[in-house]
Amino acid sequence: MSKKMFSLMSLIVVFATLLAACGSPATPTEGSSQPAPAGEQPAQQVTLRVLVHQNPPMVAFMEEFNKKFQEKHPNITIDMSVVNANDLSTVSQTRLSANDIDVLDIFGFSNAAQPYMKQVDPPNWQQLIEAGLLMDLTGQDFLKYYDASALTDAGSYNGKVYAVNLGRVSYSGVYYNKNLFNQYNLKVPTTWSELVTACETFKAANIPCMTAGGKDGWPIFVGAYGLLGSIYPDQAALVEGLWTGTIKWNDEKSLEMWRKMQVYARDMMEEGASGIAGDAAPGRFASGAVAMFPGGTWYAPAIEAANPDFEWGYIPFPGSDNPEDNKYLFGKYDQGWAIAANTPNKEAALLYLSEFSDPANYQAFVDAVGFIPTQPTAKLNTQIGAEVAPYLENFRVGYEQYWVAPKGAGQFANPWASYFKPFGTYDDPVELANKVQEDLQAGLDAVK
Amino acid sequence: MSYHFGRGWAKWTPYLLLLPGLFFYFLIALGPSMATAVYSFTDATGIKGAPVHWVGFDNYREFLFMGRASVDNLDALKRTLIFCFIVTFVQFGLGLFVALIVNQNLKGTNVFRTIYFMPVILGVVIQGLMWSLFLYPLGGPVAKLLSLFGVRSEFLGGQPAEAFAWVTFIQIWANMGITMMIFIAGLQTIPSELYEAARIDGANSWQIFRNITWPLLTPSVNTNLLLNVIGSLQAWQLFYVLVGYRNGTQVLGYLIFATGFGQTSGSVTTSFRQGYAAAASIILFLLVLVIGMTTQYILQRREARILE
Repeated sequence: MSKKMFSLMSLIVVFATLLAACGSPATPTEGSSQPAPAGEQPAQQVTLRVLVHQNPPMVAFMEEFNKKFQEKHPNITIDMSVVNANDLSTVSQTRLSANDIDVLDIFGFSNAAQPYMKQVDPPNWQQLIEAGLLMDLTGQDFLKYYDASALTDAGSYNGKVYAVNLGRVSYSGVYYNKNLFNQYNLKVPTTWSELVTACETFKAANIPCMTAGGKDGWPIFVGAYGLLGSIYPDQAALVEGLWTGTIKWNDEKSLEMWRKMQVYARDMMEEGASGIAGDAAPGRFASGAVAMFPGGTWYAPAIEAANPDFEWGYIPFPGSDNPEDNKYLFGKYDQGWAIAANTPNKEAALLYLSEFSDPANYQAFVDAVGFIPTQPTAKLNTQIGAEVAPYLENFRVGYEQYWVAPKGAGQFANPWASYFKPFGTYDDPVELANKVQEDLQAGLDAVK
Repeated sequence: MSYHFGRGWAKWTPYLLLLPGLFFYFLIALGPSMATAVYSFTDATGIKGAPVHWVGFDNYREFLFMGRASVDNLDALKRTLIFCFIVTFVQFGLGLFVALIVNQNLKGTNVFRTIYFMPVILGVVIQGLMWSLFLYPLGGPVAKLLSLFGVRSEFLGGQPAEAFAWVTFIQIWANMGITMMIFIAGLQTIPSELYEAARIDGANSWQIFRNITWPLLTPSVNTNLLLNVIGSLQAWQLFYVLVGYRNGTQVLGYLIFATGFGQTSGSVTTSFRQGYAAAASIILFLLVLVIGMTTQYILQRREARILE
């Protein structure tokens, strides 16, 4: 081969490579040409990309639901991805930006900027809406099945509905092992002192008092949110007080909370809890080895699945010596559905949400995951439903759903029990309270 | 010596052949780096379609000087340097020591080379999973071993300093194989005649190492030191897999990831702040650049001195 010929062929290869690299990627053709009428089955074969967060009973339910949905609509294939809850917002953002998702799981809208907050950035759900990445669902027929308040509080922005919230959960309660309480003749605690006594009794019998999925980080401190709630039952007011300076993390009232949090972290939580994965904690509790498990209502199906014969109950965390202060359950709006605004599979996505929202399907969903329903016709059939029913009139949205840290605040500006030893470095409640307030104040001063 | 590819337009062929490589270098490396530098002066969220505003040096000011958060950021910077120092020197020393042992003409050295190199091919997630199980505080192997001496620990979920130490150790374990392989490659280029001559002259093992092996290993030493310094300054994946975003353990790389991608705890909502994260990335880049260039300068001077 002559040098000229070799050069020419080389150049052709070079330009072919460049052209191939510059070319636009193959666009998804399935279902993207002619949209079918709203809520109806699309004419073409469609792959619907669905994103959910890891919650074993919910994922199990979704797999079953998807199977039935595909049988009913053979021209729709569901491609469901599951991500860790901590990564949901990141994955949602990247996949929405890449136009690589149709239906996504989105937590109830929270942490919105309030008038008294200065220089705060909008929360990620608001950023997604303002960028035009979430579909406006206002007026969709299936919304009629849901509580108007749930639609407004957990899925609306500027008067439009962008997400359908599927249920409330409480995270300020404690599961307790009925057999162990009976065996040691202990009354189910309704006050802090009774809780301390129960834990001392169990510890004396070499039984760990409490466990949590500490490997995921947040379960250790979320377990103690009941303590925060018994001292500050109006958590929206608490957040406002912290921002405006009328409440401080090192005032006398807060110090009581820190002292109790130290007892919780040091004396109540079992040694080694920091190594237990969030998914594994319900199984450890259901094994009967531990007396109590502070955690969210979403754990109940996993406890039942791990050991169907295990007898358990669920009570609000008794953080105060006055039982009246312990009547509240704090929680949040959990999982919801949203649709990507730019989805090429709009009809299939709407159909998916419409089918899911059908009261029979929705009832099966709340039965499976243990959510407190956001459809008024749904019933609390589950054991966890029965356990929380007496406290539902005192259900309140929790602190961390309101809280937005001021820019410049230090990393300790949170009411977290996990700052105490053995999970953190502190063993003096006063020292920690001062540090937390100092870290918060630094942020408040910085945004003045 | 110059090579003529042809006459006329054909002489441009070598440059044109470089085009695909350059194109991808610009597309994948240089382009995003330059975009990051520009982003660092904006309030970009990273969300497609979201408005982007020019904010000047605000992100840098916030990262370096705003409130207590800037002190935490500087702590993360310090932690990154400590991590870099320990990982670089321990990994270097261990890699050299192991390479010298497995480079000997003994039975089974290939098996040991494979064993020492194996962690490298596992990948961060598998490495993290393995060590999470080893360090499981409720009856994991290390917990059982320590319990024989009456010691208890929460390991990765306990004291931040301890968690940091474990991640440092695992980082060294995971990457020591690469250091070892580079040293083995260097050792095998040293002519055996030099060793034979030295032995005939009566040199002992230390003298042979000091006067033959160490000077002739200079290219491998330089490569390893640079790779270790840059790799450890940028490392964050093991922190993510093993510890998560915990106070007192963050390194700069993880801080950037968590800020840029709105890393959350459970369902707590945060904002996407990629402009701010880009500013932190540029600070990390400058750190890597200064330390990397200084290291390279020192190593090059050393190499020149040895070759004189």
